[in-house]
Amino acid sequence: MRPQWSALFRNKPEEESLALFLARVPVFSALKKRDLPYLERLIHLRRYQSEETVYEQGDPGSGMYIIRSGRVSLFTRDARNRKEELTVLGPGDFFGETTLAAPAARMVSAATLENAELIGLFRSDLLATADTHPDIANRILLGLTMVISERLQAATLELRRLNSLTAPATNEAPA
Amino acid sequence: MNLSKAHVLLLYLVLTAAIASGLALFSSASTITGLLQSASSGLFLPLLLALTSAFVLDPLVSLLEKYRVPRGRAILLLFFAISLVLWQTGSWLISYSQQMWESLLRDFPRYSSGLITYLQEAQQSWQQSLPFLAQYDLTGWVRGLTERFFAFLLVATPKSALRLGSLLLLVPLFSFFFLRDGDSIRRTLVGLAPNRYFEIIHDLSYRISRQTAQFVRGRILEAAIVGLVVTFGLSFTDIRYAPLLGLFAGVTNLVPYIGPLVGMVPGILIALVDLGLGGQFWWIVFIYFIIAQVIVDNFILVPILISRFANLHPLLVILAIVMGGKLSGVIGMIVGVPIASACKIALVEIRLYRRAFALPDTGDGTS
Repeated sequence: MRPQWSALFRNKPEEESLALFLARVPVFSALKKRDLPYLERLIHLRRYQSEETVYEQGDPGSGMYIIRSGRVSLFTRDARNRKEELTVLGPGDFFGETTLAAPAARMVSAATLENAELIGLFRSDLLATADTHPDIANRILLGLTMVISERLQAATLELRRLNSLTAPATNEAPA
Repeated sequence: MNLSKAHVLLLYLVLTAAIASGLALFSSASTITGLLQSASSGLFLPLLLALTSAFVLDPLVSLLEKYRVPRGRAILLLFFAISLVLWQTGSWLISYSQQMWESLLRDFPRYSSGLITYLQEAQQSWQQSLPFLAQYDLTGWVRGLTERFFAFLLVATPKSALRLGSLLLLVPLFSFFFLRDGDSIRRTLVGLAPNRYFEIIHDLSYRISRQTAQFVRGRILEAAIVGLVVTFGLSFTDIRYAPLLGLFAGVTNLVPYIGPLVGMVPGILIALVDLGLGGQFWWIVFIYFIIAQVIVDNFILVPILISRFANLHPLLVILAIVMGGKLSGVIGMIVGVPIASACKIALVEIRLYRRAFALPDTGDGTS
């Protein structure tokens, strides 16, 4: 098929696959299938160039991003403005979800490593959903809570492990 | 640097071309704005009314949406209910208001002559005590004003009936689309923002539009309740045109400080001419001042309905009224203040937002 025709007819399958893609994101795991068309209208699909800033540390955070394609680097900057990469995320991963429910400044910076397509879901849209479709908002918040709880548990376990590693040292110190 | 003849010629040509294209751009731009202006004239009022009614009806549509009614169908349902109510009360409402309007037009000369008699007496008394004011003829000025106003009413009545017909068609149409697509229009506009600022602009636009909608809803509700209170209070007296006076008091109540005072003038004048300076007159003054303004509006409605962020400095109110009046007459005077308030809401929201997150470019300065 010639490219202009494929561009014309590609529209529908791509949208369907967007719903399927969203259904696989853990935050939306509690949603029902009939909620997905609404979710598609709720999110914002944004295209980023390579090495474009998504947000900087300290920016007002108001939502989460899901990577549909491309790779995104999360990093912090030290006092001398040097980048310190924390992780690189790929398609299907998401970041910034802690600011979805409560407004807070961004803890890290995010920038794309290549051309990327990100899906944004923001607090204001979620608040508007809570007004008109409280059930859908509930299910999104439930999924978000599950994700954040899992992270909290993992962080607690990690903290405990680190604590036990340093425990002998702290026990010896007062003696 | 030495320029050859060719260079100078080239420079001259380039400069001439630049100036000519600049002039062409300017003239075409002013033609285009002129065209836009004449194309959009007369649309201001229906768009404004549609936007206002969309703001007012939006909570009802959201309520229906909560019960899983699709938004488009919810709006149609609401419009159907409203038109059913209008259809049921329409024939009564139209004949009633027409009768009232015609009798008001008949009575108008009597009221204006009453006003002029009072003014004449007052003028005589102050001219006796302050002789240097003898040359100022306030009565004549007011007489000319009322005559011109009456002539305008007579001419404008059939015209405004025509306009009313076009409004009845346009306002529901516009407000349907504002209700259905307002949010997606906002999303599309916000989506044009560059990636780096998209998140902030999206969040801010949501906050500002929510605050503005709340403010407009509050003002409309406040005006409606004040109008109802005035109508209800006046209907206990023998004064005529209580519903019309209540409507006038409600509409003028949209303008702070000055509006309520203007809203009282016709009621007090009619009371003075028809009922004289008796107990009923003072009861009417009491309704306007104490019950409608002080108790209902200032003590009950304003604290509940209107956010204190939307309060404007009296100077700004006067400026907004004057500038609104210059731009689009009486309607501009009424909507000038709400529009100024909406601008203030936007500014306050942006300031609050910056303070809440202490954006990098302001954080150092404020902390």
